[in-house]
Amino acid sequence: MKYTYQPVIGLEIHVQLATATKIFCSCSTDYIGAEPNTNVCPVCLGLPGALPVLNGKAVELGIKAAMALSCTVKDKTVFHRKNYFYPDLPKAYQISQYDLPLAEGGELFISGDGDTLKRIRITRLHLEEDAGKLVHSAADGRLEGAEFSFVDYNRGGVPLAEIVSEPDLRSPGEAREYVTSLRRLVRYLGVSDGDMERGSMRVDANISLQKTDAATGEILYWGERAEIKNMNSLRAIEHALEYEIRRQIDVMEAGGVLERETRHWNDGEGTTTSMRSKEAAHDYRYFPDPDLPPIEASSALLEQVSASLPEMPWAREARFRNELGLPEADAALLAETPQLADYFESCVLTGASPSRISNWVRTEVLRVLNERNISIESFSMQPKTLGSLVLLVDEGKLSTTAARETFNAMIEKGLPLEKALEASGGAGGKVSGDALADTIRAVLASAPDVVEEILGGKDDKGKKKKFLTGLVMKETRGQADAAAVGELIEKLLNEKP
Amino acid sequence: MSLCSLSAVEIARGIRNRDFSALEILRSFYQRAETLEPSLHALLHCAPEIAEKHAADVDAAVARGEDPGPLAGVPVVLKDNMCVRGMPATCASRILQGWIPPYDATVTELLETSGAVVAAKGNMDEFAMGSSTEFSAFGPVSNPWDTERVPGGSSGGSAVSVAAGYTPLALGSDTGGSIRQPASFCGIYGLKPTYGLVSRWGLVAFASSLDQIGPFARTVEDLALSLSVIARPDPRDATSSRRERPDYFEALAPWKTPGRENAPLSGKRIAVVKELQNRKDAVSAEVEDVLQKTLALCREEGAEIVEISLPVSLEFGLPCYYILAPAEASSNLARFDGVRYGLSSDEKSLVNLYFKTRGSGFGSEVKRRILTGTYVLSSGYYDAYYLTAQKVRQLMKREFAAAFAGCDLIALPTAPSPAFRKGELVDDPIQMYLADVFTLPVNLAGLPALSLNGGFTSGEKPLPVGVQFIAPKWGEPELLSTAAVLEKKLGKAKTAPCDWAETSAERAANAKTAGSERGGVR
Repeated sequence: MKYTYQPVIGLEIHVQLATATKIFCSCSTDYIGAEPNTNVCPVCLGLPGALPVLNGKAVELGIKAAMALSCTVKDKTVFHRKNYFYPDLPKAYQISQYDLPLAEGGELFISGDGDTLKRIRITRLHLEEDAGKLVHSAADGRLEGAEFSFVDYNRGGVPLAEIVSEPDLRSPGEAREYVTSLRRLVRYLGVSDGDMERGSMRVDANISLQKTDAATGEILYWGERAEIKNMNSLRAIEHALEYEIRRQIDVMEAGGVLERETRHWNDGEGTTTSMRSKEAAHDYRYFPDPDLPPIEASSALLEQVSASLPEMPWAREARFRNELGLPEADAALLAETPQLADYFESCVLTGASPSRISNWVRTEVLRVLNERNISIESFSMQPKTLGSLVLLVDEGKLSTTAARETFNAMIEKGLPLEKALEASGGAGGKVSGDALADTIRAVLASAPDVVEEILGGKDDKGKKKKFLTGLVMKETRGQADAAAVGELIEKLLNEKP
Repeated sequence: MSLCSLSAVEIARGIRNRDFSALEILRSFYQRAETLEPSLHALLHCAPEIAEKHAADVDAAVARGEDPGPLAGVPVVLKDNMCVRGMPATCASRILQGWIPPYDATVTELLETSGAVVAAKGNMDEFAMGSSTEFSAFGPVSNPWDTERVPGGSSGGSAVSVAAGYTPLALGSDTGGSIRQPASFCGIYGLKPTYGLVSRWGLVAFASSLDQIGPFARTVEDLALSLSVIARPDPRDATSSRRERPDYFEALAPWKTPGRENAPLSGKRIAVVKELQNRKDAVSAEVEDVLQKTLALCREEGAEIVEISLPVSLEFGLPCYYILAPAEASSNLARFDGVRYGLSSDEKSLVNLYFKTRGSGFGSEVKRRILTGTYVLSSGYYDAYYLTAQKVRQLMKREFAAAFAGCDLIALPTAPSPAFRKGELVDDPIQMYLADVFTLPVNLAGLPALSLNGGFTSGEKPLPVGVQFIAPKWGEPELLSTAAVLEKKLGKAKTAPCDWAETSAERAANAKTAGSERGGVR
C-alpha cells in the first residue's frame, strides 16, 4: 500500500500592540535598547498591593485587528489569570483571556498552494500581557549551563493580541503565506509594527500529520500534534515546519507513536527538540481576574473603530488590479503598506498613466528609498510632482530618459520640477525644428531596409516606426519632443523620393 | 484629661485651636504604646522619625495659619498590609520581612493630605488570614479587656490600638469579618464599607473580590470623619466605584430632623434573621442577650423590628467563602517567590528557591489556604468547587437584595461569642472559621456593615459584645445614622482601662533604670 502524509497546521500568533504605554500601567512600551528594569513600576513589577488598570488603547487596537479579520467582537469579555511560576512573570500569573476572549470566529484569505485563494479561519483573538525577559549567563545566552540568570521586566506588561487560527493550513508554504498576510494586515491597521526579528510578532505552530491511503484517500491515522516554538523569522517558520513534517513521517514510518508535546526550534542546527510532553503540561488554574471588571465594548466604540478601519490591503490590491489594470505582483507590492499605496494613488490622481506611475514608484522611488534607507513618509518628492513628471512622459513632452534625468536632478540637487527640467535640457523637447528634421533624415538614411518595409505596408502594428523613433531619441540623447518625432518621421518618410 | 481618650474630631479641633500640638499628641501615642505594648503587642512597626516629621509639618501649617486638614495631627495606625512609603509592610509574614514599599497606598495618601499622621503599623493575622491575630508570624496580640483572650482578627492590632487608647483612629481590612469581629471583641466601632467605596491600591491583596479597607473608632463621628477622608474614587483601582460619595456627617444627627426629635429611628425597618430565631446553639447566650437589648433600644427610638430570611447565606456562606477566598489568595500570594523582594532562600536551583522560600516564609494557616485555593482551581475540580461557589455567591447577592425589599437594615450578631481565649481555637480551623459565620456573607454580597458595642458580658472580667448592622450597597449613611442614635443612648465606646498595665509599666521603668532596656516600641 502506498501512503501519503498530509500536514495539518494551525498557528498561534502573538502580536505586540502598538500602544505608547503598557496594558495595565502607564510605563512606556519602548523597551528596545532601554536600560534593564527602567520601564517599570509597582504594577508591572507585581509589587504587593499594586493593581492593574486596563489601557483602553490596547482594547481599541485589539478590536481593530479583530474587525479586519471579520471576527465577532464579544459584547462582554473577561480577563483571566493564568497561574504559573517563572521568574519572568512577576505576579506568578499572566493576565490573559480564557473562555470569553475579545473576539471569535474570523477569517483571513491567503494565496494558498497552487495559487488558489484560500480561506483560513480565525478561531479567536484575545488580549494579554507580555512577560519580562530572562538573560542567562551562559556564553550562548541559553539556560543550559548558565550559572546565573538575569531578568529584565521592561517588556513585562506590554500588550499582546494572540491570534489563533483553525488548523486550515496544509503546508509550510501556506503557513508562511498566512503569516505574511497577517503581518501586512497588522501593519496596515497600525495595530503593530509586526517585526518578527524584534519579537513584536511571535509565531507558535501546531502541526500534525494525517496518514492516508494513497489509492483510496482513506484516512488511516491521525498523528498527535506537536507545538513548535521559537521561530523568529518567516524562513524559520518554513524550515521548522519542513523539518517537523519529515520528523513526524520518519516516526510514523518507523512504526513509532507521536506524542503530544511542545518542541523548540533550534535555528542554528535546523532541528526541533522536545521541551515538554503532555504529561508535564501545566495546569494553569485559570480563573477570572477579580481586579479587572469585565470589558463591555460600547456600540459607540465599536462604531468608532469600524469607521477608522482603512481599506484592507487585499481590497486595495484588487482595486489596483481591476480598476487600474496593474499586474498582480505589481499591485501586491504597491499595496504592501498603506503609506506606499497612498503615495501611489496620490500620483495617479494627477492624471498620469497608472501603469507608468506603477513602474516609476516600483523602480525609481523604491530604489531611492533603499539607497537612503528611508521610508516613503520621509521621501522628499511630493506625489503630485512625480505625477506631473510622469504626465509629461505620457503626453510625449518628455522622453523616458529625460524624465529619469529630471527625476535624479530633483532628488540629488533638491531642484523644483521646472528648474530640473531646464537643467536636464528636457524642457518640452530641446531638439526640435530643423535640427530634429536633420537628425531624422540621417536616421532614415542609415536604415533603408526598415524604411522600405514600412513603405511597403509591412508595419501594421507600428513596431517599425517605434524602432525608428527609438533611434531618433537615442541620437538626440532623449532630448527630442517625442510627439513631434512621430509626426516628423511620418512626414519625412513620405517626402522620400 | 488624658490625650489618649480624645476623639479624632477633638484632637483635630484642639490642634487647630493650638490647645496642644501635633507633636504632643504623637508623643502621647508613643508613650501609651510603650507602656502597653509589652502586654498587648498590637504594633509591628513604629515610625517615630517619619511620623514626627509629619506632625511637625502639621504644627507648622497651624502656625502659618493654614488649615492642615480635617484629621490634623490625628495619629493613625494602619494594618500592616497597607503600604506606606518608607515603612515596612510585612503582612505579619516572614516572607515579607525586610520589604519596604516604594509607594503609598491610596488610603495613606488620603490620610496624610488630610493632616493625619501614620504613627505605626498594626499587627495582624498573617496576610489577614485568621480571626484571632494569633497567626501573626511575629507573635499574637492580646485583648486589652482581658489579656488572656484574643482581640479577634485579622485586624487585631488596629482594633487594639483604638480600644486601648493609643489612638482614636485605625484602619483595618475586612475580607470576611476582619474589621467587624475584632471591633466586637474589643468593644469599639468597626465599619466595613461597600465593596468599591475605598480604594484597594496599596493594600496587599488577600482575596481581591472581597477585600475592603475600613476604619476603627470609638465614636460614630470619628467613623464618619475617617470614612469621608478615605472613601474616594481612585483611577488606580479598577474596582473602585466612580459614584459620587455623600456627606457622611449629614446622617449623624437624625434627631435634629423636625418631627423626629423623640423617635429618630421612626420609619426605619430593622430586620432580625428568621434562621437565627430558633437556633440557640448558633450564638452564645450573652451575645443573644446583647443583640435583644440593642434591638429593644432601636424599637424605643422608633424603629420597626421586622423579620427577613437568609437561608442560603447562613447555610452556605461559610463553605462558599472558604472556596472563593482561598482560590483568590492562592493566586495573589504566588508572587512571593523569593525572586524580587522579601525572604529569599539561598538556593542554586529555581525550584528549590521556590520551595524553600515559600516553605519557610509562610505560616501554617496561610499554607492551608494556598493549598485549598490551588485545589479548588485545579482542572477537574474547578467546576465542582470554584464555579459552584460563584453561583452560590450570586444567589446570596440576590437573597440580600430580596431581603432589603422588606427592611432598611439587617441586625445580626457580629460574632457568635465574645472574645475567646488564646489557644482555644488555634488548632481547630473549622471552629475558628465559624467565628466569621455572620460577617463573611456581607463580603460575598459586597455590602456595607458596621459593628458597634452593644454591651458587656457580666462577670469578673466583662467582655465587650458587638452587634452588626448590614445595609444595602452604598448604605453607609444609614448605618452611621442608626449607630449615632444608639451611641446617644449607649454612650461612646469605652477605652479599655488597661489597669493591669501599671505593673508592667513599673516593670518597664524598673528595667530601664537597671540599664537592661529590652527595646520598647521604638
